[in-house]
Amino acid sequence: MSSIYLDNAATTRPDPCVLDVLRRVADEAHGNPASTHAEGRAAALVVERARAQVAGRLGVPAERLLFTSGGTEANNLALLGVAWEHAARGRHLVTSAVEHASVLAPCAWLERRGWSVTRVPVDGQGFVDPGDVVSSLRADTVLVSVGHANAEIGTLQPVTELAAACRERGVLFHSDACQSFTRAPLGDGAALPDLVSLNAHKLHGPKGIGALYVRAGVVLQPLLHGGEQEGALRAGTPNTPGIAGFGAAVGLASDDDSPAIAVRRDALLQRILDAIPGVLLNGPRERRLCTNLNVSFPGCSGRALLAELDRRGVRASRGSACSSGSTLPSHVLTAIGRTPVQADGSLRFSLSRFTDDAEVEGAFQALLASLDAVRRAA
Amino acid sequence: MTRTPLPDDRLDLRGVKCPANSARALVRLEGLDAGAVLEIVLDDGEPVETVPAALADEGHVVIDRRRDGATWTLLVRAGG
Repeated sequence: MSSIYLDNAATTRPDPCVLDVLRRVADEAHGNPASTHAEGRAAALVVERARAQVAGRLGVPAERLLFTSGGTEANNLALLGVAWEHAARGRHLVTSAVEHASVLAPCAWLERRGWSVTRVPVDGQGFVDPGDVVSSLRADTVLVSVGHANAEIGTLQPVTELAAACRERGVLFHSDACQSFTRAPLGDGAALPDLVSLNAHKLHGPKGIGALYVRAGVVLQPLLHGGEQEGALRAGTPNTPGIAGFGAAVGLASDDDSPAIAVRRDALLQRILDAIPGVLLNGPRERRLCTNLNVSFPGCSGRALLAELDRRGVRASRGSACSSGSTLPSHVLTAIGRTPVQADGSLRFSLSRFTDDAEVEGAFQALLASLDAVRRAA
Repeated sequence: MTRTPLPDDRLDLRGVKCPANSARALVRLEGLDAGAVLEIVLDDGEPVETVPAALADEGHVVIDRRRDGATWTLLVRAGG
Protein backbone atom coordinates (compact mmCIF):
# COMPACT_ATOMS: atom_id res chain seq x y z
CA MET A 1 0.00 0.00 0.00
CA SER A 2 1.45 3.35 -0.96
CA SER A 3 1.30 5.97 1.74
CA ILE A 4 -0.09 9.48 1.71
CA TYR A 5 2.43 11.65 3.47
CA LEU A 6 0.75 14.62 5.16
CA ASP A 7 3.32 15.31 7.85
CA ASN A 8 5.43 17.77 5.92
CA ALA A 9 5.55 20.22 8.83
CA ALA A 10 7.56 17.59 10.71
CA THR A 11 9.86 17.00 7.79
CA THR A 12 9.64 16.63 4.04
CA ARG A 13 10.82 14.02 1.62
CA PRO A 14 14.00 15.28 -0.06
CA ASP A 15 13.54 16.26 -3.68
CA PRO A 16 15.27 13.70 -5.96
CA CYS A 17 17.41 16.51 -7.38
CA VAL A 18 18.58 17.33 -3.84
CA LEU A 19 19.56 13.70 -3.30
CA ASP A 20 21.62 13.85 -6.50
CA VAL A 21 23.38 16.97 -5.24
CA LEU A 22 24.11 15.38 -1.85
CA ARG A 23 25.70 12.35 -3.45
CA ARG A 24 27.68 14.33 -5.99
CA VAL A 25 28.99 16.94 -3.55
CA ALA A 26 29.90 14.37 -0.89
CA ASP A 27 32.06 12.72 -3.51
CA GLU A 28 33.39 15.53 -5.67
CA ALA A 29 33.73 18.29 -3.04
CA HIS A 30 34.92 16.17 -0.15
CA GLY A 31 37.66 18.59 0.88
CA ASN A 32 37.43 20.68 4.01
CA PRO A 33 36.17 24.13 2.92
CA ALA A 34 38.77 25.70 5.21
CA SER A 35 41.66 23.97 3.42
CA THR A 36 43.50 26.04 0.86
CA HIS A 37 44.37 23.20 -1.52
CA ALA A 38 42.31 22.47 -4.61
CA GLU A 39 39.86 20.12 -2.89
CA GLY A 40 39.34 22.66 -0.12
CA ARG A 41 38.82 25.47 -2.61
CA ALA A 42 36.29 23.36 -4.51
CA ALA A 43 34.35 22.70 -1.29
CA ALA A 44 34.51 26.39 -0.32
CA LEU A 45 33.06 27.32 -3.70
CA VAL A 46 30.18 24.88 -3.18
CA VAL A 47 29.50 26.39 0.25
CA GLU A 48 29.60 29.96 -0.98
CA ARG A 49 27.38 29.25 -3.99
CA ALA A 50 24.79 27.73 -1.67
CA ARG A 51 25.14 30.61 0.77
CA ALA A 52 24.43 33.08 -2.03
CA GLN A 53 21.43 31.02 -3.13
CA VAL A 54 19.83 30.76 0.31
CA ALA A 55 20.62 34.36 1.25
CA GLY A 56 19.36 35.60 -2.10
CA ARG A 57 16.01 33.91 -1.55
CA LEU A 58 15.71 35.54 1.86
CA GLY A 59 16.82 38.84 0.33
CA VAL A 60 19.87 39.38 2.52
CA PRO A 61 23.61 39.74 1.84
CA ALA A 62 25.27 36.33 1.62
CA GLU A 63 27.93 37.26 4.15
CA ARG A 64 25.25 37.78 6.80
CA LEU A 65 23.98 34.19 6.61
CA LEU A 66 25.72 31.49 8.63
CA PHE A 67 25.02 27.80 8.34
CA THR A 68 24.02 25.74 11.38
CA SER A 69 23.05 22.13 11.99
CA GLY A 70 19.38 23.02 11.64
CA GLY A 71 16.59 25.26 12.85
CA THR A 72 16.97 24.21 16.47
CA GLU A 73 20.59 25.30 16.57
CA ALA A 74 19.75 28.51 14.73
CA ASN A 75 17.08 29.35 17.31
CA ASN A 76 19.37 28.49 20.21
CA LEU A 77 22.17 30.56 18.73
CA ALA A 78 19.89 33.56 18.22
CA LEU A 79 18.45 33.47 21.73
CA LEU A 80 21.44 32.40 23.79
CA GLY A 81 23.95 34.26 21.62
CA VAL A 82 22.13 37.57 21.96
CA ALA A 83 21.35 37.02 25.65
CA TRP A 84 24.98 36.35 26.53
CA GLU A 85 26.33 39.18 24.41
CA HIS A 86 23.96 41.73 25.93
CA ALA A 87 23.80 40.39 29.48
CA ALA A 88 25.47 43.50 30.90
CA ARG A 89 22.87 45.75 29.25
CA GLY A 90 19.77 43.77 30.14
CA ARG A 91 18.40 40.36 30.96
CA HIS A 92 14.84 40.45 29.70
CA LEU A 93 13.48 38.65 26.64
CA VAL A 94 10.03 38.64 25.08
CA THR A 95 8.51 35.76 23.16
CA SER A 96 5.05 34.35 22.57
CA ALA A 97 3.12 31.55 24.21
CA VAL A 98 3.02 29.51 20.99
CA GLU A 99 6.67 29.26 19.96
CA HIS A 100 8.48 26.08 18.99
CA ALA A 101 10.25 24.17 21.74
CA SER A 102 13.62 25.29 20.37
CA VAL A 103 12.68 28.86 21.30
CA LEU A 104 10.77 28.21 24.51
CA ALA A 105 13.37 25.84 25.98
CA PRO A 106 16.33 28.26 25.63
CA CYS A 107 14.13 30.94 27.18
CA ALA A 108 13.39 28.66 30.13
CA TRP A 109 17.08 27.80 30.38
CA LEU A 110 17.94 31.49 30.59
CA GLU A 111 15.21 32.04 33.18
CA ARG A 112 16.82 29.45 35.42
CA ARG A 113 20.02 31.49 35.21
CA GLY A 114 18.58 34.85 36.19
CA TRP A 115 17.06 36.23 32.99
CA SER A 116 13.37 37.13 32.91
CA VAL A 117 11.10 36.18 30.04
CA THR A 118 7.72 37.58 29.06
CA ARG A 119 5.54 35.24 27.02
CA VAL A 120 2.87 37.32 25.34
CA PRO A 121 -0.48 35.59 24.81
CA VAL A 122 -2.17 35.00 21.45
CA ASP A 123 -5.76 35.38 20.34
CA GLY A 124 -8.12 32.54 19.45
CA GLN A 125 -6.48 32.10 16.06
CA GLY A 126 -2.93 32.19 17.34
CA PHE A 127 -2.05 35.78 16.44
CA VAL A 128 0.28 37.82 18.57
CA ASP A 129 -0.91 41.41 19.09
CA PRO A 130 2.04 43.73 18.33
CA GLY A 131 0.60 46.08 20.97
CA ASP A 132 1.10 43.36 23.59
CA VAL A 133 4.72 42.95 22.51
CA VAL A 134 5.36 46.69 22.65
CA SER A 135 3.77 47.04 26.07
CA SER A 136 5.91 44.19 27.39
CA LEU A 137 9.18 45.90 26.41
CA ARG A 138 11.32 47.21 29.26
CA ALA A 139 14.52 49.20 29.55
CA ASP A 140 16.40 45.93 30.00
CA THR A 141 14.77 44.03 27.09
CA VAL A 142 17.45 42.78 24.72
CA LEU A 143 15.49 40.52 22.35
CA VAL A 144 12.01 39.74 21.07
CA SER A 145 11.49 36.37 19.39
CA VAL A 146 8.27 35.56 17.56
CA GLY A 147 8.16 32.85 14.90
CA HIS A 148 6.81 33.64 11.44
CA ALA A 149 4.54 30.61 10.88
CA ASN A 150 3.32 28.55 13.78
CA ALA A 151 4.42 24.94 13.39
CA GLU A 152 1.19 23.47 14.71
CA ILE A 153 -1.60 25.72 13.45
CA GLY A 154 0.06 27.70 10.65
CA THR A 155 -0.75 31.19 11.92
CA LEU A 156 1.42 33.75 10.10
CA GLN A 157 2.47 36.37 12.60
CA PRO A 158 2.76 40.08 11.70
CA VAL A 159 6.55 39.94 11.71
CA THR A 160 7.03 43.06 9.58
CA GLU A 161 5.04 45.07 12.09
CA LEU A 162 6.85 43.45 15.01
CA ALA A 163 10.26 44.06 13.43
CA ALA A 164 9.44 47.74 12.86
CA ALA A 165 8.12 48.18 16.40
CA CYS A 166 11.23 46.60 17.91
CA ARG A 167 13.62 48.55 15.71
CA GLU A 168 11.90 51.81 16.62
CA ARG A 169 12.57 50.99 20.27
CA GLY A 170 16.13 49.73 19.83
CA VAL A 171 15.34 46.09 20.66
CA LEU A 172 16.58 43.20 18.52
CA PHE A 173 13.92 41.06 16.86
CA HIS A 174 14.34 37.39 15.94
CA SER A 175 11.95 35.22 13.96
CA ASP A 176 11.96 31.47 13.44
CA ALA A 177 11.03 31.08 9.78
CA CYS A 178 11.73 27.36 9.49
CA GLN A 179 8.14 26.52 8.53
CA SER A 180 7.56 29.43 6.19
CA PHE A 181 10.82 29.91 4.28
CA THR A 182 10.13 29.98 0.50
CA ARG A 183 6.39 29.59 1.22
CA ALA A 184 5.36 32.93 2.71
CA PRO A 185 7.13 36.29 2.34
CA LEU A 186 8.91 37.51 5.44
CA GLY A 187 9.45 41.09 4.27
CA ASP A 188 12.54 42.61 2.78
CA GLY A 189 15.31 45.03 3.59
CA ALA A 190 14.68 47.06 6.70
CA ALA A 191 11.37 45.22 7.22
CA LEU A 192 13.16 41.95 7.89
CA PRO A 193 13.81 40.78 11.44
CA ASP A 194 17.35 41.30 12.77
CA LEU A 195 17.81 37.54 13.06
CA VAL A 196 16.01 34.83 11.09
CA SER A 197 16.24 31.06 11.59
CA LEU A 198 15.92 28.75 8.58
CA ASN A 199 16.27 25.08 7.84
CA ALA A 200 16.38 22.85 4.79
CA HIS A 201 14.42 19.75 5.65
CA LYS A 202 11.06 21.52 5.75
CA LEU A 203 11.47 22.43 2.06
CA HIS A 204 12.54 19.10 0.58
CA GLY A 205 16.17 19.64 1.47
CA PRO A 206 18.39 17.45 3.66
CA LYS A 207 18.13 17.10 7.41
CA GLY A 208 20.94 18.40 9.58
CA ILE A 209 21.40 21.77 7.93
CA GLY A 210 19.96 25.16 8.73
CA ALA A 211 20.98 28.78 8.78
CA LEU A 212 20.76 31.94 10.82
CA TYR A 213 20.61 35.36 9.20
CA VAL A 214 22.24 38.01 11.37
CA ARG A 215 21.76 41.63 10.33
CA ALA A 216 24.95 43.66 9.93
CA GLY A 217 25.86 45.27 13.25
CA VAL A 218 24.12 42.64 15.39
CA VAL A 219 26.64 41.04 17.71
CA LEU A 220 26.13 37.67 19.38
CA GLN A 221 28.18 35.08 21.19
CA PRO A 222 28.79 31.66 19.60
CA LEU A 223 27.45 28.46 21.13
CA LEU A 224 30.17 26.27 19.64
CA HIS A 225 33.84 27.01 20.13
CA GLY A 226 36.93 25.52 18.52
CA GLY A 227 37.18 27.02 15.06
CA GLU A 228 36.81 30.21 13.07
CA GLN A 229 34.21 28.84 10.66
CA GLU A 230 31.11 30.84 9.77
CA GLY A 231 32.59 34.14 10.83
CA ALA A 232 33.71 32.59 14.14
CA LEU A 233 30.05 32.22 15.12
CA ARG A 234 29.76 28.50 14.48
CA ALA A 235 32.85 26.37 14.97
CA GLY A 236 33.04 23.04 13.18
CA THR A 237 33.73 21.72 9.70
CA PRO A 238 30.84 22.84 7.50
CA ASN A 239 28.46 20.16 6.27
CA THR A 240 29.28 20.75 2.63
CA PRO A 241 26.84 18.23 1.11
CA GLY A 242 24.04 19.44 3.39
CA ILE A 243 24.78 23.06 2.56
CA ALA A 244 24.76 22.30 -1.16
CA GLY A 245 21.51 20.38 -0.71
CA PHE A 246 20.01 23.35 1.13
CA GLY A 247 20.93 25.62 -1.76
CA ALA A 248 19.51 23.17 -4.27
CA ALA A 249 16.27 22.83 -2.29
CA VAL A 250 15.85 26.59 -2.21
CA GLY A 251 16.46 26.77 -5.93
CA LEU A 252 13.77 24.15 -6.54
CA ALA A 253 11.15 25.85 -4.37
CA SER A 254 9.02 28.04 -6.59
CA ASP A 255 6.97 30.99 -5.40
CA ASP A 256 4.20 29.50 -7.53
CA ASP A 257 3.97 26.38 -5.35
CA SER A 258 2.23 28.05 -2.41
CA PRO A 259 -1.10 29.01 -4.04
CA ALA A 260 -1.54 25.50 -5.46
CA ILE A 261 -0.77 23.91 -2.09
CA ALA A 262 -3.24 26.26 -0.38
CA VAL A 263 -5.98 25.26 -2.85
CA ARG A 264 -5.51 21.57 -1.98
CA ARG A 265 -5.32 22.33 1.74
CA ASP A 266 -8.56 24.32 1.51
CA ALA A 267 -10.20 21.53 -0.45
CA LEU A 268 -9.34 19.03 2.28
CA LEU A 269 -10.65 21.37 4.95
CA GLN A 270 -13.91 21.91 3.07
CA ARG A 271 -14.43 18.17 2.60
CA ILE A 272 -13.89 17.66 6.33
CA LEU A 273 -16.20 20.52 7.37
CA ASP A 274 -18.94 19.37 4.99
CA ALA A 275 -18.84 15.73 6.10
CA ILE A 276 -18.02 15.74 9.80
CA PRO A 277 -20.22 17.68 12.20
CA GLY A 278 -18.64 19.68 14.99
CA VAL A 279 -15.13 19.88 13.55
CA LEU A 280 -13.16 22.92 14.71
CA LEU A 281 -10.47 24.54 12.60
CA ASN A 282 -7.48 25.40 14.75
CA GLY A 283 -5.83 28.58 13.54
CA PRO A 284 -7.02 31.19 11.06
CA ARG A 285 -8.58 30.86 7.61
CA GLU A 286 -6.53 33.76 6.26
CA ARG A 287 -2.90 34.66 6.99
CA ARG A 288 -2.18 30.99 7.38
CA LEU A 289 0.75 28.95 6.08
CA CYS A 290 -0.35 27.30 2.84
CA THR A 291 0.73 23.82 3.87
CA ASN A 292 -0.97 23.67 7.26
CA LEU A 293 -4.32 22.26 8.33
CA ASN A 294 -5.10 21.56 11.99
CA VAL A 295 -8.53 20.43 13.10
CA SER A 296 -10.18 19.18 16.28
CA PHE A 297 -12.55 16.22 15.97
CA PRO A 298 -15.17 16.23 18.71
CA GLY A 299 -15.36 13.23 21.00
CA CYS A 300 -12.38 11.55 19.43
CA SER A 301 -8.91 10.65 20.68
CA GLY A 302 -6.32 12.17 18.39
CA ARG A 303 -3.87 9.43 19.29
CA ALA A 304 -6.32 6.69 18.29
CA LEU A 305 -7.30 8.55 15.13
CA LEU A 306 -3.68 9.01 14.16
CA ALA A 307 -3.05 5.28 14.59
CA GLU A 308 -6.09 4.41 12.46
CA LEU A 309 -4.96 6.79 9.74
CA ASP A 310 -1.48 5.32 9.85
CA ARG A 311 -2.98 1.85 9.44
CA ARG A 312 -4.71 3.14 6.30
CA GLY A 313 -1.51 4.62 4.92
CA VAL A 314 -2.06 8.27 5.85
CA ARG A 315 0.71 9.97 7.80
CA ALA A 316 -0.37 12.96 9.87
CA SER A 317 0.55 14.20 13.33
CA ARG A 318 -0.86 15.53 16.55
CA GLY A 319 1.31 18.64 16.54
CA SER A 320 4.92 19.61 16.43
CA ALA A 321 7.21 16.61 15.92
CA CYS A 322 9.45 17.99 18.66
CA SER A 323 6.57 17.60 21.12
CA SER A 324 5.29 14.24 19.88
CA GLY A 325 5.02 11.60 22.54
CA SER A 326 4.11 14.20 25.14
CA THR A 327 1.07 13.35 27.22
CA LEU A 328 0.39 17.03 27.90
CA PRO A 329 -2.08 18.93 25.74
CA SER A 330 -0.44 21.05 23.04
CA HIS A 331 0.72 24.38 24.46
CA VAL A 332 -0.32 26.01 21.19
CA LEU A 333 -3.87 24.66 21.24
CA THR A 334 -4.16 25.51 24.92
CA ALA A 335 -2.97 29.05 24.20
CA ILE A 336 -5.69 29.59 21.58
CA GLY A 337 -8.33 28.48 24.07
CA ARG A 338 -8.93 24.86 23.18
CA THR A 339 -9.95 22.65 26.10
CA PRO A 340 -7.76 19.64 26.93
CA VAL A 341 -10.38 17.39 25.31
CA GLN A 342 -10.49 19.48 22.13
CA ALA A 343 -6.70 19.59 22.05
CA ASP A 344 -6.53 15.83 22.50
CA GLY A 345 -8.83 15.34 19.52
CA SER A 346 -6.75 17.49 17.18
CA LEU A 347 -4.72 16.42 14.18
CA ARG A 348 -2.35 18.31 11.90
CA PHE A 349 -2.28 17.55 8.20
CA SER A 350 0.60 19.28 6.44
CA LEU A 351 0.86 19.24 2.67
CA SER A 352 3.73 19.85 0.29
CA ARG A 353 4.22 20.67 -3.36
CA PHE A 354 4.24 16.93 -4.02
CA THR A 355 0.74 16.41 -2.55
CA ASP A 356 -1.73 15.85 -5.38
CA ASP A 357 -5.52 15.89 -5.65
CA ALA A 358 -5.78 12.10 -5.48
CA GLU A 359 -3.86 12.08 -2.21
CA VAL A 360 -6.13 14.74 -0.75
CA GLU A 361 -9.17 12.65 -1.65
CA GLY A 362 -7.50 9.47 -0.41
CA ALA A 363 -6.65 11.10 2.90
CA PHE A 364 -10.21 12.34 3.28
CA GLN A 365 -11.71 8.90 2.65
CA ALA A 366 -9.22 7.34 5.07
CA LEU A 367 -10.14 9.95 7.66
CA LEU A 368 -13.83 9.09 7.39
CA ALA A 369 -13.09 5.39 7.82
CA SER A 370 -10.69 6.07 10.69
CA LEU A 371 -13.17 8.26 12.54
CA ASP A 372 -15.79 5.57 12.19
CA ALA A 373 -13.39 2.93 13.52
CA VAL A 374 -12.31 5.05 16.49
CA ARG A 375 -15.88 5.95 17.45
CA ARG A 376 -17.06 2.35 17.18
CA ALA A 377 -14.19 1.20 19.38
CA ALA A 378 -14.84 3.87 22.02
CA MET B 1 46.56 57.67 -19.75
CA THR B 2 44.08 54.85 -19.08
CA ARG B 3 41.29 55.79 -16.70
CA THR B 4 40.44 53.38 -13.89
CA PRO B 5 36.84 52.22 -14.48
CA LEU B 6 34.15 52.75 -11.88
CA PRO B 7 33.10 49.47 -10.27
CA ASP B 8 29.66 47.99 -10.92
CA ASP B 9 29.65 46.14 -7.60
CA ARG B 10 31.70 45.99 -4.41
CA LEU B 11 32.66 43.12 -2.12
CA ASP B 12 34.34 43.61 1.24
CA LEU B 13 36.30 40.49 2.14
CA ARG B 14 38.21 41.91 5.07
CA GLY B 15 38.31 39.36 7.86
CA VAL B 16 37.24 36.50 5.57
CA LYS B 17 39.77 33.69 5.58
CA CYS B 18 41.19 31.73 2.66
CA PRO B 19 39.78 30.06 0.67
CA ALA B 20 36.31 31.39 1.55
CA ASN B 21 37.38 34.84 0.32
CA SER B 22 38.25 33.52 -3.15
CA ALA B 23 35.05 31.48 -3.24
CA ARG B 24 32.89 34.48 -2.33
CA ALA B 25 34.61 36.60 -4.94
CA LEU B 26 34.09 33.92 -7.60
CA VAL B 27 30.41 33.54 -6.71
CA ARG B 28 29.90 37.30 -6.91
CA LEU B 29 31.70 37.47 -10.27
CA GLU B 30 29.58 34.58 -11.57
CA GLY B 31 26.55 36.79 -10.98
CA LEU B 32 27.91 39.71 -12.99
CA ASP B 33 27.78 40.22 -16.74
CA ALA B 34 31.00 39.62 -18.62
CA GLY B 35 33.00 42.84 -18.60
CA ALA B 36 31.43 44.20 -15.43
CA VAL B 37 33.89 45.43 -12.81
CA LEU B 38 33.90 44.23 -9.21
CA GLU B 39 35.77 46.12 -6.52
CA ILE B 40 37.14 43.76 -3.90
CA VAL B 41 38.56 44.87 -0.58
CA LEU B 42 41.03 42.38 0.89
CA ASP B 43 43.37 41.93 3.82
CA ASP B 44 47.11 42.05 3.29
CA GLY B 45 49.06 38.79 3.50
CA GLU B 46 47.66 35.44 2.37
CA PRO B 47 44.40 36.89 1.00
CA VAL B 48 46.06 39.26 -1.43
CA GLU B 49 48.60 36.58 -2.29
CA THR B 50 45.97 33.99 -3.23
CA VAL B 51 42.69 35.65 -4.25
CA PRO B 52 43.93 37.39 -7.46
CA ALA B 53 45.41 34.15 -8.73
CA ALA B 54 42.26 32.19 -7.93
CA LEU B 55 40.18 34.71 -9.87
CA ALA B 56 42.58 34.70 -12.80
CA ASP B 57 42.40 30.90 -12.93
CA GLU B 58 38.68 31.24 -13.62
CA GLY B 59 39.10 33.77 -16.41
CA HIS B 60 38.60 37.02 -14.53
CA VAL B 61 41.07 39.87 -14.97
CA VAL B 62 42.56 41.94 -12.18
CA ILE B 63 42.83 45.38 -13.76
CA ASP B 64 43.97 47.40 -10.78
CA ARG B 65 45.26 46.85 -7.26
CA ARG B 66 45.99 49.43 -4.61
CA ARG B 67 47.30 49.14 -1.10
CA ASP B 68 46.16 51.24 1.83
CA GLY B 69 47.97 50.07 4.92
CA ALA B 70 46.84 46.54 5.74
CA THR B 71 44.07 46.65 3.15
CA TRP B 72 44.12 46.06 -0.60
CA THR B 73 41.52 47.17 -3.11
CA LEU B 74 41.31 45.19 -6.34
CA LEU B 75 39.33 45.99 -9.45
CA VAL B 76 38.40 42.81 -11.27
CA ARG B 77 36.76 42.58 -14.67
CA ALA B 78 34.40 39.61 -14.90
CA GLY B 79 35.32 37.08 -17.53
CA GLY B 80 32.82 35.59 -19.95
